[in-house]
Amino acid sequence: MRFETLLFHTRFRELAFNSLKTVLQLKTAGLKKVVLAHVIPRDDVAFVPYGGTLKADIKRLREEARVTFDDWIQTIADSQLIFTQRIEIGAPNAKILEMAEAEKADMIVVGRKKRTLMEKVYVGTHVLDVLRRSTVPVLMSKYMVQYEWQGESLMRTNEQIWKRPLLASDWSDPSRRALDATLAMKPLVEKIGVTHVLGRRRTKNLEAAAVQRLEAESERRLRDYCQEIEAAGIQAEPHLAMGRTVEAILKMSRDYGATLIVMGRTGKDWFQEYWLGGVSHRVAELSELPVLLIP
Amino acid sequence: MSTPGRRPIVFLLWIVVILFILAQPAVLVASDQQQNISIDDFAVDSSLESHPATGHMEPEGEATLHEGAHGHADLGPILPLWSCVPFACMLLSIALFPLLAPEFWHHHFGKVSGFWAATMAVPFLFVYKGTAMYEIFHILLADYVPFIILLWSLYTVSGGILLKGSLRGTPLVNVAILTLGTLLASWMGTTGAAMLLIRPFLRANNYRKNRTFMVVFFIFLVANVGGSLTPLGDPPLFLGFLHGVSFFWTMHILPHMLTVSGLLLVVYFFLDRYHFHREAGRVPADEAEKTPLKLVGIHNFIFLGGIIGAVLISGMVDWGHVNVLGVHRGIQDWVRDGLLIAMGLFSMVTTSLEIREDNDFTWFPIIEVAYLFVGIFITMIPCLLILKAGAHGHLAFLINAVKAPVHYFWITGALSGFLDNAPTYLTFFNTALGSHYPGMAEAQAVPLLMTEKILYLEAISAGAVFFGACSYIGNAPNFMVRSIAEEAGTPMPSFFGYILKYTLVFLLPAFAVVTFIFFF
Repeated sequence: MRFETLLFHTRFRELAFNSLKTVLQLKTAGLKKVVLAHVIPRDDVAFVPYGGTLKADIKRLREEARVTFDDWIQTIADSQLIFTQRIEIGAPNAKILEMAEAEKADMIVVGRKKRTLMEKVYVGTHVLDVLRRSTVPVLMSKYMVQYEWQGESLMRTNEQIWKRPLLASDWSDPSRRALDATLAMKPLVEKIGVTHVLGRRRTKNLEAAAVQRLEAESERRLRDYCQEIEAAGIQAEPHLAMGRTVEAILKMSRDYGATLIVMGRTGKDWFQEYWLGGVSHRVAELSELPVLLIP
Repeated sequence: MSTPGRRPIVFLLWIVVILFILAQPAVLVASDQQQNISIDDFAVDSSLESHPATGHMEPEGEATLHEGAHGHADLGPILPLWSCVPFACMLLSIALFPLLAPEFWHHHFGKVSGFWAATMAVPFLFVYKGTAMYEIFHILLADYVPFIILLWSLYTVSGGILLKGSLRGTPLVNVAILTLGTLLASWMGTTGAAMLLIRPFLRANNYRKNRTFMVVFFIFLVANVGGSLTPLGDPPLFLGFLHGVSFFWTMHILPHMLTVSGLLLVVYFFLDRYHFHREAGRVPADEAEKTPLKLVGIHNFIFLGGIIGAVLISGMVDWGHVNVLGVHRGIQDWVRDGLLIAMGLFSMVTTSLEIREDNDFTWFPIIEVAYLFVGIFITMIPCLLILKAGAHGHLAFLINAVKAPVHYFWITGALSGFLDNAPTYLTFFNTALGSHYPGMAEAQAVPLLMTEKILYLEAISAGAVFFGACSYIGNAPNFMVRSIAEEAGTPMPSFFGYILKYTLVFLLPAFAVVTFIFFF
């Protein structure tokens, strides 16, 4: 897996440019082209009740986006990267996915929504929808986040996001691809943490011996992953955890000092995915770290 | 289903839950006990005794007022004309704000609607207390809720059907699309049919230079005239159905609809042929390659059938009544509304998000209708009550002026062209009842209107539906079609340009023909 073309979608929220700069570190890992994308939601400019389309607004929004993108490109001033712009009107999610396909993007970067004046972790339903439906890896960037941890309100700025990724694996095919994706960031990575959580549901009705067997099997697989990572010349650190999967991954990411969480998007159950949210989506929603989901 | 789709579902579920809680199952009344007392009867029969089981609030200190069939005071004869001012302001807001302050309107139309509703409701409640509360609950529960639920379900289900593939817009193909849309409109609603066909129609003609007239005729035929044959076609007819007009009665409009549609289609064909030959005269070679046509999401036709079935059943059976907040509604009506919601939900759950996105489906148009119509329905309460009072009300001069079917056709139509056609229909429907059957309960008067005064009801129905095409604000899909066409790069005429260049030239002569054939 390689990340050569990146689709960076922005709604021009605060710190979007900082977020772009952190993502551009991927240049060291082979990034060549960045497509700066902005979708003007159709509902914001069309279907004005009995009023038609707000043509002047469309023109203004397009122009504002273009000027901002031009400014970003000028500020970054990196001749080794190719920058293009796409400003479109439509249903944002569908357009983002459509643009990614048209541009043959290797990764989509989307931002989260700011919930309140305080920078709390919050992911809008639109972003989760992109995570669910994308056929290419999606990075949910979170440049500056305020979050609660053990009763304390903390602030975190994610600047070196590629440095210490935590790969959360359930041994599925998407997890396998998530390992490949993590290895593709090799020049940027200092160390990769690999974790697997023996979920409460899986161990609840098992006898102690069976649980031990599961633990042994999980540790063996963790070692296999780590060996593969070390064979690629990167340090690896295995972590086996038990308990509630989402909480365990979040706790692990903090204990390990991760800068990014990488997960396969398993999509186990349609109903759960859409209505309750899968593990990967819950982690993406709740973690203060950027989350890279690999389909 | 998309996560963004949760919001309207949650909204709908909340409505259902609240209505369920408010319902009082203990007050179920057997249908045979209800024969004389219609749920929609807030008419002016002072001879009827108060209904013992309604339980709605009696007004205090209103001994001098007439009593309606449910024991509540009849406000029609005493309400002043100026009590209709909020309604007029509401409609003027719809007509003028989008033109004068479109951005303000886009962001605040719900507040404007709420404001006018409040200017009517607050003093109304203050003065008439329980009776006013009854009237407001009645119009919301008996008219607004089922109206919005039907529109929502049709909009949701039709938005899940997508016509893919390439059509090339020759005059014959275009006439075929318009004919198909006209025929579908009565069965899936003008909004549904317009949403289903407008994009393929625009795609088919994207190589043509002059496309404006095509979209205008599309609005005429698919978004308006075609919806005249069933209560599913256009909201005014559904309101009529809610007030007791039988489902298939509207088929009486078939000759009128065929006349207008036939005339417009013939004119369209020659107009299209003229432009087609003037431009290129043939489909460009590189455009001629065709991708086979394909309907996607066709399982939604099952839900469409479910909607038609639910509406039909509710009109045919009588399962007794239930009292909700003092308003009696048939159990079959609640069941119908529940089934309509279920059809919409099934459609949402079973239709892939991609189909809706390819259809450019958004919830905004239906939310817009929901917001605006709550204001319209509440503010029009005094107008309806005054009109229902017939010669006893302060609109006696209007009632007395509207006498012949031709008057009903043109006056209902003229107002529908610029105001909203649903409340306009209801207004003149009540005028006809008040004129011909003053003092008679609606449940008894409507069947008589359908049989004895058939020409009057035809004139009101045809006027309300046909004239909706006269301006962009005549019917909800008109503007949706305009927006989609503009988005796709088809220049559309201005508000007055539409009227001057198209309505006056093509529509009114067609309506004149209908008048001479059917209403003189």
